[in-house]
Amino acid sequence: MIDKSRPIPVGRVVATELKPATPHQFHFWTANETTIGIGAIVRVEASERGALGVGRVVYGVVTDGFAYSDLATPLHDVVGAEGDPARAAEAPTVRQEIRLWTAAVLRQIPEEPLQPVPLGQVHVAGDADVAQALRMDAYVGGAQPTPIPIGLYTSGGLEAPVYLDADFLLGPEAAHLNISGVSGLATKTSAVEFLLASVFRHFPAHKGRIAAVCFNVKGPDLCFLDRPGELDAEDRRRYARLDVEPRPFERVRYFAPFKADGVNLNTLRTHPDLVSDVDALVWGLQEVLDFAEVLLNRDDIDAKADAFIDFLADRVLNKEFDDGFGRQHRVQNFADLDALFRAIFDGLEATGRSDMWRTHHIATIRKVRNRLANISTRCKGLVTDDGPSNDLPWGELQDRTVYVVDVANVDPLGQDLVFARVVSKLREHLERRDLGVDAVVVFVDELNKYAPADGPETYVKKMLLDISERGRYLGLVLFGAEQFRSQVHRRIVGNAGTLVYGRMDMDELATPGYQVLSPATKIKLATLPIGELMVRHPHFTQPIFVRFPRPAPLRGRDGVERFPPAADLPFEDAVVRQLVQLDRRIRPNQVKDLITDRTAEDVRRALAGVRRARPEDALAYFRKALGTRIAPAAPRPRHVVPPLNPISEEPY
Amino acid sequence: MTPPRRWTEAIVAAGAVRAAYVPEASTGRSDALEPAGAELVEGAALELHPVPLAAAPGPVISFLDGIQRWAVVGYDGATPIVRAHVAAAVRRRGPDRRPRTADEATRELVITRLAALSAPVRRALEEAGVEIVDLAADETGQPGRALRAAHGRVDRAREDVERELGERCAGRLGPEEWLVVDGLLSESRVLAEHPRVLGVIKSHGAQYFEGAALERALTVPADHRTSAFRPLGHQHQPVYSWYLRLWPWQGNDLLYGLLRIEARPHPASVAQATALSGWLLRERAPVSTPDARWDRLLYPIHDVETYLRSRAPRDLLPAAGSRLPKTGS
Ligand SMILES: Nc1ncnc2c1ncn2[C@@H]1O[C@H](COP(=O)(O)OP(=O)(O)OP(=O)(O)O)[C@@H](O)[C@H]1O
Ligand SMILES: [Mg+2]
Repeated sequence: MIDKSRPIPVGRVVATELKPATPHQFHFWTANETTIGIGAIVRVEASERGALGVGRVVYGVVTDGFAYSDLATPLHDVVGAEGDPARAAEAPTVRQEIRLWTAAVLRQIPEEPLQPVPLGQVHVAGDADVAQALRMDAYVGGAQPTPIPIGLYTSGGLEAPVYLDADFLLGPEAAHLNISGVSGLATKTSAVEFLLASVFRHFPAHKGRIAAVCFNVKGPDLCFLDRPGELDAEDRRRYARLDVEPRPFERVRYFAPFKADGVNLNTLRTHPDLVSDVDALVWGLQEVLDFAEVLLNRDDIDAKADAFIDFLADRVLNKEFDDGFGRQHRVQNFADLDALFRAIFDGLEATGRSDMWRTHHIATIRKVRNRLANISTRCKGLVTDDGPSNDLPWGELQDRTVYVVDVANVDPLGQDLVFARVVSKLREHLERRDLGVDAVVVFVDELNKYAPADGPETYVKKMLLDISERGRYLGLVLFGAEQFRSQVHRRIVGNAGTLVYGRMDMDELATPGYQVLSPATKIKLATLPIGELMVRHPHFTQPIFVRFPRPAPLRGRDGVERFPPAADLPFEDAVVRQLVQLDRRIRPNQVKDLITDRTAEDVRRALAGVRRARPEDALAYFRKALGTRIAPAAPRPRHVVPPLNPISEEPY
Repeated sequence: MTPPRRWTEAIVAAGAVRAAYVPEASTGRSDALEPAGAELVEGAALELHPVPLAAAPGPVISFLDGIQRWAVVGYDGATPIVRAHVAAAVRRRGPDRRPRTADEATRELVITRLAALSAPVRRALEEAGVEIVDLAADETGQPGRALRAAHGRVDRAREDVERELGERCAGRLGPEEWLVVDGLLSESRVLAEHPRVLGVIKSHGAQYFEGAALERALTVPADHRTSAFRPLGHQHQPVYSWYLRLWPWQGNDLLYGLLRIEARPHPASVAQATALSGWLLRERAPVSTPDARWDRLLYPIHDVETYLRSRAPRDLLPAAGSRLPKTGS
């Protein structure tokens, strides 16, 4: 269809001394009525008799457009209309006018010697031309093709799929994607959802298995990825053209911490029909101490506190420990730890000896105690004072599966902790090649919050920087989204091999990061319709505009309407619900009878035990667990997370 | 005591109309002809008629104009060899107000005196397959005289091309279509008799009146026309004609914004003169600047000219660069 239009030129390259054609730019005119617009891809060929540069084919993308008439000065229009603008419109003849376009060269064939664009005929680009122009021929075909469709290049009724190169999107050549644009119109979250579906469908077999870990940081955004949303015929057509299934994700697992009560899940996916596939995310003292750095360096860096935390983790946790005042401790949880702290403070006060305890100053001990107490109160549903933890299935991640970690309602400190722990775990397992998959896409929305351009060098920021600089060799790929790219740490966006832009804010476009774009391209970005994106990718020498279909999963907003979150249940009922989920035979009254005279702590601990063990007879297990104190999981060797390099200006 | 006034002010104060016009150094064709005479065909005396703006007489109007370009491309002895390009085009303007080329014709000529050329040069010319216009012996002799004669032949060739194209176009005009020709209708019977063809003349070498009538004709105010008359004298074909002023001339020149219109010699032309003039007034916009003759040059005519110029051979333009001898290679 497209190729039939080949012989009919739509324009002609023109060059004057003032506006010459160069190896990287040219100008051409078209009929006044034309389908050419900013972002259109064109092919230039000099084929007519006597032309210079015959045999050379040049592909370009339109970056600017000009219209003018033969009017010598505006004054003459005034004269002609005798000062009356209404009369100007009545003139019997329309002035001669021109549509003149500027295009940036995408590719020249042959590439050598590099010469000015020939003054030839201009054609609109078809499928094959787009593939050539964007150098996609290098990875769409061949023995081990690596194309990942991102959208359709569309111009004047013609459209062609645009592919990213998996080697450059997901490593090892380059990696990471960053998408920016204004809220609600830029379709950032939607674009990432679509691209993930495309990645799952097209991730090349020779590259192995891939999964995605998505942090849900905003309301219900990613809570319904397994439920179908509404697509219209045009969306379906685009899915077909891009060879992506118009279906929601088949395998999605949700993780959310509890609310402060420790029994109601802190997520919007609590509708009775859906809540059963949400796993609780619960960490204990050990998990927290591993990432104590997160807690400390949010506001200050303190080597003494670090040292004390290391001491706790290495010498105290899960060991028989003598406090030096005659008491033995075995610290397994926050409650135990607090007992130790009290013993130390009491002991120091009683003996009146000094301010030092085992080379640690009492002020440092107080500080660490405060921080740890702080996290166990501020992140109550995530961190258990007591009892076993429940985490992502490290080492058993499944191919083409999305793991949604819902931290939308979690305190910022808790969010940091979750990011730090989840990403570090991913890195650790990928380094050991025992994650269960070969590559993971980590999607972080609202990246400006977690890796701001300015502000303190938090652990989370260092970690995101570390992924963006080293992740591509490991298969750890960051997809980041934010409204304003200028507000995200420069090297994190700088390391993203693929940059995507939705509708942009004019003020943002005025910042230095966008100087390379022509004024017309900026205007187009500032008025970009929903569903259209501008893409920069290592193979494309110029930014390219594409359209993508609505994501197939149910939108978060629609999800909460169709599956309204269940109201928080009273403690007893929440316990019942969780047990019933584990074992349908359980009757509510049986549970209620069991827990009436037990403390909430005991009940939560027993419940966590059941969740972890997933026994045949959940009620029996629960009853037994209530009777005894649940021992935490067998102490494991502490995995010291390798320290991250401090943020420096040098990438390595 | 009043300050001394310049005499230019004094004459204006005394009733002369102020003007500002620097005549061209060389005034091209010298048609300083005797008054040719005219026969009034509207009213008893040459009168001025106000012209209200009016709509075009039909939805489709065609405009015809021609250009010429020539250059001496060689000498054989002292005999110049002239290359000339003449072309004419008709651009048709429809309801979308955009002119499009409907027809065009070009001629490429060589003008020289063949008998004065050496045999090899002559043979080379004759074998080249170009149209040759041979000058007469008495037209040549000196290079200057030969060039004047060549100029006349170029003019004539352009007039011929224009006339042929005009006649072809007039023959094909639809029942509601009009044709506006840049120049005289009286050179062609077909054009002069056609009910929907107008000639628009913007150079006023020939005068048809004397005395008070001349003054009245040449001082016609803007948005007015004169009575219609039949030019007499050297006219090949009878036509009716009238003057029409597009822009106020005061402060410029007597001929500023002055057009002479030609139409077929028929009472209907007199009846339509005001309405047609009202339409031509509307053709003032858009103005055809930067052309120096924009006060008289209708934009669609200018458009035809622009079209023709853009297609004319570039090598017949005056050399832009230096005429210093070329050195080395
Ligand atoms: N391809 C598309 N075609 C049409 N509409 C779309 C498309 N993709 C997304 N939308 C719609 O655009 C709206 C905004 O999308 P989305 O929530 O992804 O934007 P966002 O940039 O992530 O916004 P925010 O900054 O607020 O998170 C949604 O209502 C979505 O349904
Ligand atoms: Mg979003």
